[in-house]
Amino acid sequence: MGPLRLGNFPLDNRRLIGALFLTPALLYIVLLVGFPFALSIAFGFSDVTVGNTDLSFVGFRNFLAVWENDIFRQVFETTIRFTLISQVFILIFANILAVIFTQEFTGKWFARFIFILPWATPVSLAMIGWLWMLDTKYSPIDYLLLQMGLLGRGGLLSDNRNLYWLAAPDLAQISVIFVQVWRMTPLATVILMAGLSSIPTDILDQAEVDGSRFMRTLLQIKLPLILPIMVIALLFSMITMFGDMTVVYVLTRGGPVDYTRVLGLYSFQVGIEGGNLAQGAAISLFAFPLLLAMAIFMLRTASRAEVR
Amino acid sequence: MKTLIRTLLVLSILGTLVIGSSAQDTEISLLQWSHFVPRYDEWFDAYAAEWGEANGVGVSVDHVNFTELFSTLAAEIDAGDGHTIVEVLFSPASFIDGLHDLRDINEAAAAAHGERASTCEAASYLPVSDTWYAYTHGYVPDPGDYDIALWTEAGYPDGPKTYDDLLEGGRAIYESSGIPVGIGMSPELDSRMANRAAIWSFGGSIQDESENVVLNSDETIAAVKYLAQLQNEAMTDEVFGWTAASNNQALIAGEVSYILNSNSAYRSLQKIDEAAAANIGFTPALAGPAGAYASSHVWQIYVIPKYVEGDELAAAKQFILDHTANYSDVTYHSELYNFPCLPSTVPELDGWLEADPWGSEPPNKFEVLKTVNDWSVHLGFPGVTNPAVSQVFAESIIPNMVAQVALGEMNAEDAVAQAHERIEEIFSEWRARGLVGGGDM
Repeated sequence: MGPLRLGNFPLDNRRLIGALFLTPALLYIVLLVGFPFALSIAFGFSDVTVGNTDLSFVGFRNFLAVWENDIFRQVFETTIRFTLISQVFILIFANILAVIFTQEFTGKWFARFIFILPWATPVSLAMIGWLWMLDTKYSPIDYLLLQMGLLGRGGLLSDNRNLYWLAAPDLAQISVIFVQVWRMTPLATVILMAGLSSIPTDILDQAEVDGSRFMRTLLQIKLPLILPIMVIALLFSMITMFGDMTVVYVLTRGGPVDYTRVLGLYSFQVGIEGGNLAQGAAISLFAFPLLLAMAIFMLRTASRAEVR
Repeated sequence: MKTLIRTLLVLSILGTLVIGSSAQDTEISLLQWSHFVPRYDEWFDAYAAEWGEANGVGVSVDHVNFTELFSTLAAEIDAGDGHTIVEVLFSPASFIDGLHDLRDINEAAAAAHGERASTCEAASYLPVSDTWYAYTHGYVPDPGDYDIALWTEAGYPDGPKTYDDLLEGGRAIYESSGIPVGIGMSPELDSRMANRAAIWSFGGSIQDESENVVLNSDETIAAVKYLAQLQNEAMTDEVFGWTAASNNQALIAGEVSYILNSNSAYRSLQKIDEAAAANIGFTPALAGPAGAYASSHVWQIYVIPKYVEGDELAAAKQFILDHTANYSDVTYHSELYNFPCLPSTVPELDGWLEADPWGSEPPNKFEVLKTVNDWSVHLGFPGVTNPAVSQVFAESIIPNMVAQVALGEMNAEDAVAQAHERIEEIFSEWRARGLVGGGDM
């Protein structure tokens, strides 16, 4: 009996199968990311309004006008500040939680389920919940503090019955950063958990045999090994936060004054609500070079860490 | 001959069928907000369906949250397809290039029904391009809502009449009862309206009649100083973080002595607690050194995007004119929320203001609104509401300017100068597009 001869099966072709697998992702990127991005570049260099989308080229006029706008510069600075501060907390909490959730304990699956909810809940719904929690007058947090004697006449925190979470400049900024950390930490944690789970057990066994305790194993073995994944988690989180407008749109609409106004929100206010689509596009594009540089730097860092 | 007769017969039948089907094929769709008064939407949807049946036109109505109207209109104009008629609540002047000129129906309505309230004309006509880019059929008054018991105790039984009364009486009430005045200073709609009202009444404005930016004036500075003093002496810091619903909630909860709002907060309270609602009174715009002005709360503005053509366009225009002719129903079913831009279309209005058909106690609670056309103005007052005025509104420049001073972060002179500079930039942008007058034009 001779060898079994198989006919030419098209899916045996590695090039073809590769192209087939990649096509949906490429289509998604081109249609839902690439096209809107190209359109926003075209808008940024044109004179379009919400009523007139004829693309007449005006060069860098919109970008120069935006840069000369004092409000924009403050908004840009606020966006960077909020993003950086949030990332520090997200990184700390995500690392702690990833370590906890990779240990064995009773109720781990339920705890994981509860923990992922902030990420899984639609952001607008979650923000409406926070809007109620942080309400200037009817905040349940304020109510608890009042019951504990921390608010109200002679209270440790304030003589007022409310802290005005979203109305006092400092508290409003803290609230927005807190909510962003609450929302983004689960994603970073899940990514880090995947990284921790992928560490070969023989390395950890070896460390244990050599007498390495928990903290030493964590700091000198686990964290260095998951550094590339940590960088990816950070990158995801930073890019998502930098472009987000939903959190502040629902909670503060940028107030009090401009203290919580971020790029995404300002771009929407100028471009859609204000009708100046060209400047709205220019405002949003200012984030692009920064995010691109950040992505390149972080991916290189991750790549180097992986090689080592 | 027989053949000729048969041919003519067949042709006439075919012709009838074609004409008949063409009439039935005409369809219009409307996009408008989910009205504050749910019963209004019920009435409107039924009215639209009846109108469609009577005119051989298919009519569909979509309701969305009012915050989605501008973004949906922008998307539909960009796509070149979408609803036939879109009703927005603020002047859509920045959409002008994508909208039909509705001069014909504006003129037809004026010819049929007489004089139009100035607050409506300024929200739909752009003089610099001589275009009626919209048809404003209604507007909503924005009177003061006050707690009768508190103000009576403070010596103002009819509520505050002037900004001095508001400061003196509001401060006295706050000091004695802890209940503050509720004028928002936050980036939201009601704050934008209330802060403008004070500036106008003190003699300041964003632009003059010729659409030149004139914000930086002694009058505006005086108004901003006044508002900061009012906040510091008669209000809490919560007003810096208010949403558009906050003053309604505070009035309903009995936790403010005075707010500036439409009748919406009162109507909500009326449905919850009639006795508490009876304790709410209304005042016209407060008088300042230069007069008494308040912005209309919102406007009901119909626009028809340019992608609408042919029979659909003709049907849309007819719908709008017929809707105006039925404005008594509009005002009635909106619980006196929608006021007519063409007052003659609602001859019953004065009677309803004297005896509220929706059961107010006392029945003449809304009588102060008889003078509404004397003090209700629009966002661009004393000029028109042009695209630059709309962008200034969207960016919340005015309440942010006021809040900076009230928070003690800037003095009034610097805050007004800074806001003036940004507003000049916005006006220059739109002036370069030929959509704002003034300047060197």
